Amino acid sequence: MFKKILFATSATEASDHAARVVFNMAGTLGANLNIFHVLGVPTRGFSQVVLDVKTKKEVAVDGEYISWVEEEIKNYYANQLATCSNYSIKVAVGVPHREILRQARETEPDLIVLGGTTGSKKDSVYKSSTGSTLQRVAKASPCPILVVNRPAASFWGGLSNIVFGTDFSKASDKAFDFALKIATSINGELHIFHALDITSKNMGMSMPQDEIDHKIRESYRMIRSKYVSKMRDYKNYSMNVWEGVPYIEIVKYTREKHADLIVMAHNSRKLDEDGPKIGSNMEQVIMRANCPVISVNR
Amino acid sequence: MKKILIVDDDPNIRDYLVALLEDNGYDTCTASNVKDGLKIVKEYKPDLITLDLEMPGEWGPRFYRQLSQDNELKNTPVIVISGLSGKDYAISKAVATLTKPFDKDELLSIIKENTL
Repeated sequence: MFKKILFATSATEASDHAARVVFNMAGTLGANLNIFHVLGVPTRGFSQVVLDVKTKKEVAVDGEYISWVEEEIKNYYANQLATCSNYSIKVAVGVPHREILRQARETEPDLIVLGGTTGSKKDSVYKSSTGSTLQRVAKASPCPILVVNRPAASFWGGLSNIVFGTDFSKASDKAFDFALKIATSINGELHIFHALDITSKNMGMSMPQDEIDHKIRESYRMIRSKYVSKMRDYKNYSMNVWEGVPYIEIVKYTREKHADLIVMAHNSRKLDEDGPKIGSNMEQVIMRANCPVISVNR
Repeated sequence: MKKILIVDDDPNIRDYLVALLEDNGYDTCTASNVKDGLKIVKEYKPDLITLDLEMPGEWGPRFYRQLSQDNELKNTPVIVISGLSGKDYAISKAVATLTKPFDKDELLSIIKENTL
């Protein structure tokens, strides 16, 4: 399923839980793991001075420093690397999202794995939105990305229970194909879920229950025609439609199902082409989920 | 006598918990992995379970998932005892999460509170 995984890491605490997921996943699936780190943030255009991720001090980049950082990464993940034979470590200089995307184009991974934001916990943005690197990579990534944004979303012992969240868009169709492929390859259970949005569309008016019930029935019909019809011999699935605030319902449903993974399409609604946003529902699911989230964008 | 099931892959922890709990008047049973734990829990029907998270093969949360699908056992109190980072988030319905090495008086008090 995943032969090549690109793990973009800050090699700091912010990436620890993503590391737990990615090392277990690579080990279980026998995938090649490319551990990729982008050195600091250039202080100004074309500068060769970067901020060291750990010390936050300015450092001149040269071959010696890059080798030292590679060694640091090796030491940081020493325990995990002891059980992982098929890996490589690469350090690049530049703007993180550009370098991650460049590396993805070069190595053509099947999956990019990213940790949470490295922003300060004092920053008000920290708890309510995803990091800009994540948003930019997610938007332009040539392959699905897996995000582990908080400790609760870390690896807890396996991958067998997958939630596929859909809004019935074309992008969601692609995400479904991907979710079904994973579920089939691991012989797991696939939970197809649609959250009926009863908030934003009604300008504050509450939707009558008859209308909600009607839309729920309609959604089940959509699930059957769009997804169940594609599954043929695959019987290990369930489907549910809950009404409410979509991202909250997806997070609640995932918790209820003790799911190990959420698969969603991130650009299922028209987005501002210039902005880094990945869609409010996807962003909120990534922020709140208690398991890793895979964002499929094409 | 209240029955406690100990699920942990570390034999030293298992032995220590057995000695501690039996000295304090509990009946105990142990399992070193999730598979055995699931088999034993159905026969033994414990009043409380102490559960490690990271074990060879399946992990503790998988044990809890199976447990919560069994109508007879789903409300059995579970105490997570682990050294894993982020352990507080692993099983949201756990009655407590203790870090290894744990304080024995704290454990006994939590067990007493949850096996009344």
